[in-house]
Amino acid sequence: MSYQIDINGNIKDFEILNRNENSISARIDGKVYDLDLLETEPGLFNIIYKGKNFNFEVIPKENKTFQVATSKNTLEIEIIDAESRYMKNRKGAEEEDAAYISTPMPGQVVKILVEEGQEVKGGETVIIVSAMKMESEYKVVKDRIIKEILVKEGDNIEGDQPLILFE
Amino acid sequence: MIKKILIANRGEIAIRVMNTCREMGIKTVAVYSEADRTSLHTQYADEAYCIGPAPSNESYLNTDKILEVAMKTGADAVHPGYGFLSENANFAEQCQKEGITFIGPDAYAINTMGDKITARKTMTAAGVPVVPGTAEPITDIDAAVKKIMEIGLPVMIKASAGGGGKGMRLVEKEEDILSSVQGAKSEALAAFGNDAVYIEKYISSPHHIEFQILADKHGNCIHLFERECSVQRRHQKVVEETPSPIMTPKVRQEMGQHAVAAAKAVNYSGAGTIEFITDDNLNYYFLEMNTRLQVEHPITEQVVGIDLVREQIKIADGEKLSVKQEELSQHGHAIEMRIYAEDPDNNFMPNPGTIHHIQFPLGPGIRHDTYVHNGYKIPIYYDPMISKLVVWGNNRIEAIDRMKRALSGFRISGVKTSIPFLSRILEIDDFKKGRYTTHFIPKNEEELQKRETCTEDGENIAAITAFVAFQNQLQKQIVSSPNVVSSKWKEFGRKKAVTRL
Repeated sequence: MSYQIDINGNIKDFEILNRNENSISARIDGKVYDLDLLETEPGLFNIIYKGKNFNFEVIPKENKTFQVATSKNTLEIEIIDAESRYMKNRKGAEEEDAAYISTPMPGQVVKILVEEGQEVKGGETVIIVSAMKMESEYKVVKDRIIKEILVKEGDNIEGDQPLILFE
Repeated sequence: MIKKILIANRGEIAIRVMNTCREMGIKTVAVYSEADRTSLHTQYADEAYCIGPAPSNESYLNTDKILEVAMKTGADAVHPGYGFLSENANFAEQCQKEGITFIGPDAYAINTMGDKITARKTMTAAGVPVVPGTAEPITDIDAAVKKIMEIGLPVMIKASAGGGGKGMRLVEKEEDILSSVQGAKSEALAAFGNDAVYIEKYISSPHHIEFQILADKHGNCIHLFERECSVQRRHQKVVEETPSPIMTPKVRQEMGQHAVAAAKAVNYSGAGTIEFITDDNLNYYFLEMNTRLQVEHPITEQVVGIDLVREQIKIADGEKLSVKQEELSQHGHAIEMRIYAEDPDNNFMPNPGTIHHIQFPLGPGIRHDTYVHNGYKIPIYYDPMISKLVVWGNNRIEAIDRMKRALSGFRISGVKTSIPFLSRILEIDDFKKGRYTTHFIPKNEEELQKRETCTEDGENIAAITAFVAFQNQLQKQIVSSPNVVSSKWKEFGRKKAVTRL
């Protein structure tokens, strides 16, 4: 079965040629890799390629997306199979802008500056969240209308949790 | 005789203090907030008591509750660590009233050093150099100009009611003096309703160098040499090392004597730190005194060979200092790097969360003071510092190489940390040469923001690994799918039904 793989926004053709226990042979954009790949602990991988050691940690995210931490940086990798290609095509023309505001990390809601039904201009701050003694302001990118506020001041929140929905 | 100590703190410093207590055969009592039930300090002590909800002012700053636990458990002494109650004179007094030893100086020393103006006056009287400037706020323009000529350029004019940079003016040229004084005054008046200003000598390439001191209750006081803390980001220390790469033996001796004089001027007892601001020519001025154990105390311990917490406890217990100044020397070089749960590639945003996996570097010359572990959820309420990595080497070069090795072996995932940023600091020429000031991070910002990338092969291999993780995930889903086997009991029942036939 052939796939595509998205590495930090770079889409490449991907195919598994052979997999037998630790031995894996795969082709990426025409180049073949023969790897000895071992999962040493859940999520931790040691790979030997042409005698060279690579140690990666893989953290699963939603929708077939994985974060791979290398010794240099963290890569965002998405597996694109037939299903996700179909979903992507269907979404196609839809606007890219998010339907809600969320924070990348957990924290506590300090202040909510808007009310439901309120119109806000692009660049306006709608919510202030604190984490570890530091407060951050979250702004809307474009002009929006507040549909629903899902949290209240003082609430503890998780990362990526929808806080305020837009129309 | 101190037999049991309550540690009124959390995190790595609580564990650091408990380690020494354990070595001395002293029992330990931990206090913890509701958010810290899973924190290692709670589990590590001999006894542990919850003192309230997560916010610090309802738990770690709740003096009544902490004293209540101290009395209930029969603790002889309280160690405040750093931060929280460590420089709270009222708490030191309260402890004394209840007959519990506060491991630190008395309220008088804390109060005198805690107030900038009183501290400055006390230091001037003790012959310790302070930054040349006005002791009292000035409102008269002519007096201000006269004072500036006396101090010599460059100077900084600061609003006495000030803060946030408003009403501040740097004056470098003589022709700007009058307009700057007027400008600062009108800005201060507009911002704070008060046009009084302070004038201070401006040090253009400042180094932050501090001296560790120890003083007993019998009038003996020694210093344990300097720590260089000039690598700072937004006034937060990031890297500390000792000895300072710019120090000379002569200046070290002088500064040490002044540090001891500063401590003696307030009848200090315990461990304390005198901070100096130093220019490129090693002119130095008293900045402030921290009347507690410092975050960066381990580098002094590594180089001087003295356990500062042990000394603190012995001093609090009324013992005399066991070492004399002339018996002390610096052996080798130590560096500390502070590891924060923050994202260096995203404006240092705090990054609390759950640690998936953590692997500490080990091996020769490495010390690691921390409290986090696999599966630990870093709370959102407290400081983002999660660990202090300390290395020792025979000399500075060896210590830097060792730190590089330690950072590369330090794997932590689930939360982002400042580790990549710290690694980049070690590669900057100014740092390698030891020629840096407190402007180091802003000056080298571009290079420090450089992001390392993988080779193309590395990226492709990472992609294959992600794919394998994806396949493994699918397989697990099939195996654990509820349609196949929903419970071990059902499975057992089915098997039983078959064997019965």
